[in-house]
Amino acid sequence: MSSPAASRTTGSTAGLGTFIRALWGADVSVEPLPNLAGAEVDAVDRRPRFAGSRIWVPSEPLPGSPRTYSEYLLAAVAHAAAHVYFGGLRFEVKGLKPPQIAIISLLEDARVERLAAARYPGLTRLWTPFHTARSDGAKTSQALLARLARALHDGRYADEDAWVAKARAHFDDPRFDWRDSSCLRELGGALGNDLGQMRAQFEAKNYAVMPIYRDDNFGLWQSKSAEDAAATEADMARGSDLDQADVDSDRDKERPAAGVPRPHMTCERAPSLRSGAASRCEVVGEPPKNHSDALSPTRYPEWDYVIARERDEFCSLRERGLELGDTERLDDALAGYRPARQRLGRFARRLADRRAVHIRRLLDGDRLDLASAVENLVAQSTGTFPEQRVYRRVRVQQEPPVLLLLIDLSESLNRAARAHGTTLLELARNASVLLAGSLPSAAPDLAIHGFSSNGRHDVGYYRFKDFGEPYDALVHSRLAGMKASFSTRFGPALRHAGRVLHQRSARRKLLLLVTDGEPSDVDVYDPNYLVLDAKRATNQNRARGVQSFCIGLDSSAETSVTRIFGTGNWVMLEHLRRLPECLCEVYLRLSA
Amino acid sequence: MSHRDLDAYLIRDEPYYLPIGEEIELFEAAYAARLPVMLKGPTGCGKTRFVQYMAWRLSRPLVIVACNEELSASDLLGRYLLEGGETRWQDGPLAIAARLGGLCYLDEVVEARQDTLVVIHPLTDDRRLLSLPSRSEAFQARADFSLIVSHNPGYQSALKELKPSTKQRFGAIDFGYPERAREIEILCHETAVSRELAERLVSIAEAGRRLKGHGLDEGISTRMLVHAGTLIRHGIGPEAACQMALVQPLTDDPELVLALSASVRVCL
Repeated sequence: MSSPAASRTTGSTAGLGTFIRALWGADVSVEPLPNLAGAEVDAVDRRPRFAGSRIWVPSEPLPGSPRTYSEYLLAAVAHAAAHVYFGGLRFEVKGLKPPQIAIISLLEDARVERLAAARYPGLTRLWTPFHTARSDGAKTSQALLARLARALHDGRYADEDAWVAKARAHFDDPRFDWRDSSCLRELGGALGNDLGQMRAQFEAKNYAVMPIYRDDNFGLWQSKSAEDAAATEADMARGSDLDQADVDSDRDKERPAAGVPRPHMTCERAPSLRSGAASRCEVVGEPPKNHSDALSPTRYPEWDYVIARERDEFCSLRERGLELGDTERLDDALAGYRPARQRLGRFARRLADRRAVHIRRLLDGDRLDLASAVENLVAQSTGTFPEQRVYRRVRVQQEPPVLLLLIDLSESLNRAARAHGTTLLELARNASVLLAGSLPSAAPDLAIHGFSSNGRHDVGYYRFKDFGEPYDALVHSRLAGMKASFSTRFGPALRHAGRVLHQRSARRKLLLLVTDGEPSDVDVYDPNYLVLDAKRATNQNRARGVQSFCIGLDSSAETSVTRIFGTGNWVMLEHLRRLPECLCEVYLRLSA
Repeated sequence: MSHRDLDAYLIRDEPYYLPIGEEIELFEAAYAARLPVMLKGPTGCGKTRFVQYMAWRLSRPLVIVACNEELSASDLLGRYLLEGGETRWQDGPLAIAARLGGLCYLDEVVEARQDTLVVIHPLTDDRRLLSLPSRSEAFQARADFSLIVSHNPGYQSALKELKPSTKQRFGAIDFGYPERAREIEILCHETAVSRELAERLVSIAEAGRRLKGHGLDEGISTRMLVHAGTLIRHGIGPEAACQMALVQPLTDDPELVLALSASVRVCL
């Protein structure tokens, strides 16, 4: 990620996922294909690919593209998204020959494009320039397929080839329901047979989908694996980490054609996508090595709603030391957030702007406070005692709010964040680093703490960054070493964080919790118990002047988060990669 | 208060307003009962236009106050002014409306400081009393006076919310963007663009609204669409007009600008 090429690539796909969300309301991630520039793969054969809600696009312009790279990316992503939105069940490869597979794929391309263009007519203008096949071209199978693609795309394109004309007439026949993808198999099979009889040899190995913005069709076909979608997705995720040896090894076996999925294609699953399967309460791993370093426990009460009273000194919370982590790895991960950093920089400036306050009715100041001056004159005229405080001054607010960012570090945070190739823990960690690193002026008033629990006797509390501490290399290392394990008992952690905040002298004290779910612990079986205790802890904090807010990472916990923090005091993040910005936005708003 | 004052706040010509639900009936019922009304909804969805329309429909003068953090109680109630060495009391907009028996509309009420808004409390319950401490005066609002406030819950902020004691004095009408067919009709009426173009502009707005919460605080409003249509009517090309009226005012974020610009291209 840190290489200049990678940064450029990341930048080029930026905004494309947002574009798709704007069109179809669906969250897809758009990522660059693994860069195989050094391998013996012809760039001309490279095509976009999609699986599930992920789209991969070539990381550099393809040779011979009739439009700019950015135009190409828009066309490619819009096409793949049409598959994602309008695609039905994957086609079965069984019983089909390579040319038939290629033709059915082509028909499916035309089908989804027509459906998409019916909704957004301008999509056609995005795609048309890439249809460069000519009616007077060669009659190879590759050329004929490209001509058919153009014929189905562009009603004004004239092609007198009998095979193309037949396919087009059939597809456009009002009796043929092209909107139903299940009809395409029969038509594609027949056209494939016709192509075979024309002796236009189909070279599956050298076939590349045309036009070049269209995907390689792998996302349309079933693989051997039962969970094919996930398998393909995992395969691509692994592909993004392919090294040269992997590529060469694959090529030694057989180079896959860009457009014809091999029958019974198998995909290896990426182990990383299977992690995080543990349930929220599952206790995984040993207690932290530094357990013996723990400070003496602080005991907190817990609210038992069944008996409607607090159980005194019921939970034990220990502040624990922290292991330092690998900052290089963290820095690599942060390299992908360059656009987010820029946005955070703007947030920071807005924050500074917002702190300008007008102080009125001063005895001495920069400007006359007109309202007070008029009142003064009125008082003089009416014979009452005139107020001498007639000046005002603008100054930067001296007392910004203090914010304690509290991160739920339970085992479930180790789950993979779907479609982001990372874990929730890493997202939360990166967001904390970006927040603290982007707001240096706010650093003294910002603390980053975390917690996890293993039953009521063992609630762990970690201070990655404390109030008054600058954001320096040590804090950076502590955050790099952030780990998640055990369960989620909100109450003691909220009470402890509230106590820490209460000791600050600021006028406004904010507690911001980042969590991926509802509270749970190994010794509690009643789902309401910990929720109501957390609600009580939040109310107690509020009574002490600590305002609480929650950023949720899992919408299934919406109900419990609402119960704990109250309406308007939480936000549920739909697009997890936006966590850093969301964190800063919430901070900005709470600071306003 | 003279009739001339009243005239200044009366709306003579019928403002164009296309109902999106039962808001007219609800408002009329609330006004008949003199129940203060809160209009909730995103910016640019037609709240102010609705109030203007209702003021015209009810033939009541309308006094509008755009609230902000600097708004003081004196700004609402009134203050003494100096005139040639003498003092003269000047009613604030709330006092004017209460004396004239008009509608007072506090736009974006949540932007005002909470302590300022407390002055409306005695006016919004059965006392209907307005107190002017600087003048040592308290008077009962005219029978046909009513208070309307608007706020935008989209700017979600834990610290920027009306006090429950203020909120609970109002009946609320929830506004959203008009449904597609109505928004097209509004656009055709307000900007005189062709129906086909209006449909495409509304498609752009729908795309932009899907980005709310995904980088945008607010989606593309009906007002922004009217701006775009107006620019087109003045001879600007549709894409350039959409850039100027819809994309650039909404965000400075390069990713979002790219996404919105691409959406404009495929919708037009």
